[in-house]
Amino acid sequence: MRYKNFRSISRRRFLGASAAALGGFTLLPSGVLAQPGRPGANDRIVVAHIGVGGMGNVHLSNMLQYQREGKVRIAAVCDVDESRLRAAVKTAGAGVEPYRDYRYILQRKDIDAVLIATPDHWHGVQTVHACESGKHVYVEKPSSVTIEEGNAMVAAARANKVAVQVGAQGRTGKGAWYTCRAIRNGIVGQVRSVECWHYANPVDDKPVPDSDPPASLDWDMWLGPLPWRRFNARYCPGVFRWFLESGGGQIRDRGAHQFSTILWCMNADKQTSFTVQAKGTPPSKGLWDCPVDMEVVYQFKDPDWTLVWGQPGNKVGKTEFGQVFRGANGSLILEWEGAYRGAEPDAINFKLPPGGQEVYRTAEYEDFNMNHKADWFKSIREGHLRPAVDIEIAHHTATLCILGNISYILGRKLVWDGQNQRVVGDEQANRLLSRPQRYPYVL
Amino acid sequence: MKSTLSSAAISIATVAVARAAATAAPETERLLNSIRSKEDKVRCEAWQSAGGVGASALAPLAALMLDVDIEVARAARLAMEKIVHHAGRPAAASEARAVEAELVKLLRHDSPIIRRAVIWMLSEIASDDSIQPISALLADAQVREDARCALQRIPGDKSVTALRDAMRAAPEEFKYAIADSLRKRGQNVADYPTKKLIPTRSTQVQATPASSK
Repeated sequence: MRYKNFRSISRRRFLGASAAALGGFTLLPSGVLAQPGRPGANDRIVVAHIGVGGMGNVHLSNMLQYQREGKVRIAAVCDVDESRLRAAVKTAGAGVEPYRDYRYILQRKDIDAVLIATPDHWHGVQTVHACESGKHVYVEKPSSVTIEEGNAMVAAARANKVAVQVGAQGRTGKGAWYTCRAIRNGIVGQVRSVECWHYANPVDDKPVPDSDPPASLDWDMWLGPLPWRRFNARYCPGVFRWFLESGGGQIRDRGAHQFSTILWCMNADKQTSFTVQAKGTPPSKGLWDCPVDMEVVYQFKDPDWTLVWGQPGNKVGKTEFGQVFRGANGSLILEWEGAYRGAEPDAINFKLPPGGQEVYRTAEYEDFNMNHKADWFKSIREGHLRPAVDIEIAHHTATLCILGNISYILGRKLVWDGQNQRVVGDEQANRLLSRPQRYPYVL
Repeated sequence: MKSTLSSAAISIATVAVARAAATAAPETERLLNSIRSKEDKVRCEAWQSAGGVGASALAPLAALMLDVDIEVARAARLAMEKIVHHAGRPAAASEARAVEAELVKLLRHDSPIIRRAVIWMLSEIASDDSIQPISALLADAQVREDARCALQRIPGDKSVTALRDAMRAAPEEFKYAIADSLRKRGQNVADYPTKKLIPTRSTQVQATPASSK
């Protein structure tokens, strides 16, 4: 189905008529939503994938499912590693264009939205560029590696009227939802502390000298915004996670999941100021520099509560990582981020008290990855452009992760003023809130 | 684990460290000896405790950054960063200035590896005193991009002025990067529009033909 005469109907009428005619399932092209009157290619949202290794493959698999359901069309895939790109274009099927440089995708007017699953040091730049090109964005967590990037991402999403969903699936996950409504409605009383546990960061026990990059990899594009250095086989693929300047370790990987869910349960998205003090044990050898063990303590005021990142921490649950909410009347455990793992029976069986506060969750798919994307599409379809893990929410989460690492690096307590996005009384820490980027891979 | 540095560079580094150690304070000497250790644990504890050793250890540590053993070289860099992080703490201005002065001297080092690392260390604590020596490296093809980034990060009017001055003398293609830095610092630059959205890298990978679907 193609839409004609867009200029003759209002955006509101168009939205209403489309939703009614198509049972509310049709996804509208971003060009239509962002700029009323501009016709889209058809009634399916047209998507492109930037980064098709690791989680990028999960996203591609999800979009193929959406494509089979007639809700999207995959137009392009992109990766700086040609071997990965070759595999992805084969998986994506006929008619999908491969690119090494994501900026070719941003130039295409027929593409409405992009899914970004590149190494973390690319998230900020690529999201801002996509927003500036009028594309809706689904970007992997953590949303950014610096505070400056996070602020730029929020500004770009708002200025260009696009939806930016960050891939921390807890807030659309069933386990986190059960836990959230139970915690917010007093299952353990007022929560005084939330303690996370997580296994350690690995040590690079097979360090190798710098070398030439593999022929299939565009090393300059992989580095992107990072300062230039020679290739080392211990940078990629995947292991970028263990560098403070790129992946930021478990606290910025799983922490981005756990903190997002915790802030949701604590109804603390507006509690943007806090103190943070970190300590950790660095690896004794190798290229990777994230601390093996780590403890980070965040103190929030009004209401007062403490958040502890423990690596390994005090593992009170059954699985590799999770958190426990401790309140005046007891405690409640949530494994993982509450998406991949379910809630405790006490949370599932919790009955809202009279006058209790219900919590919204998009619930279109059982699969948590599919459901998180459904929430993103819903925000586009409904035109409010505020998905469950909107970039502003994700930036608050990433701020916790980023400042935890800065406190570890500097070896001192930091006082964070969320209103002004500054560390109080610490000039060096404030300089570390941004990291000027290598041209032309800049915000 | 051995790096691929030239034997000449290694010899220079070895002589520099030996000279520095001969005249170093006992505290610095202990640090350097521990950084040179073949024991992972000893090196790791050494760099972690380097913060209080201070400015005088920076030059010999920089020389160790060129050590043939990449673990020693890495520990030396981490020790330097630890000193910078310690000196940059609040209410330690005199320590920061002493560290800054030693780092500025290292901006003239023969090795671009050291010049690049030192530029980024300076970007965290530099005062106006560092602006001119960092600006001079905008003419150094090997580290000019790092120098530009440092000037973008260092607050104050002097770094902005240095970037503006650099626009006049810089090679044409580098002016786009400097212009971007100036814009990030809130300056209006009429020429040299951003190239950030211009694609440059094409792929050899072909789309899957329709017949193979």
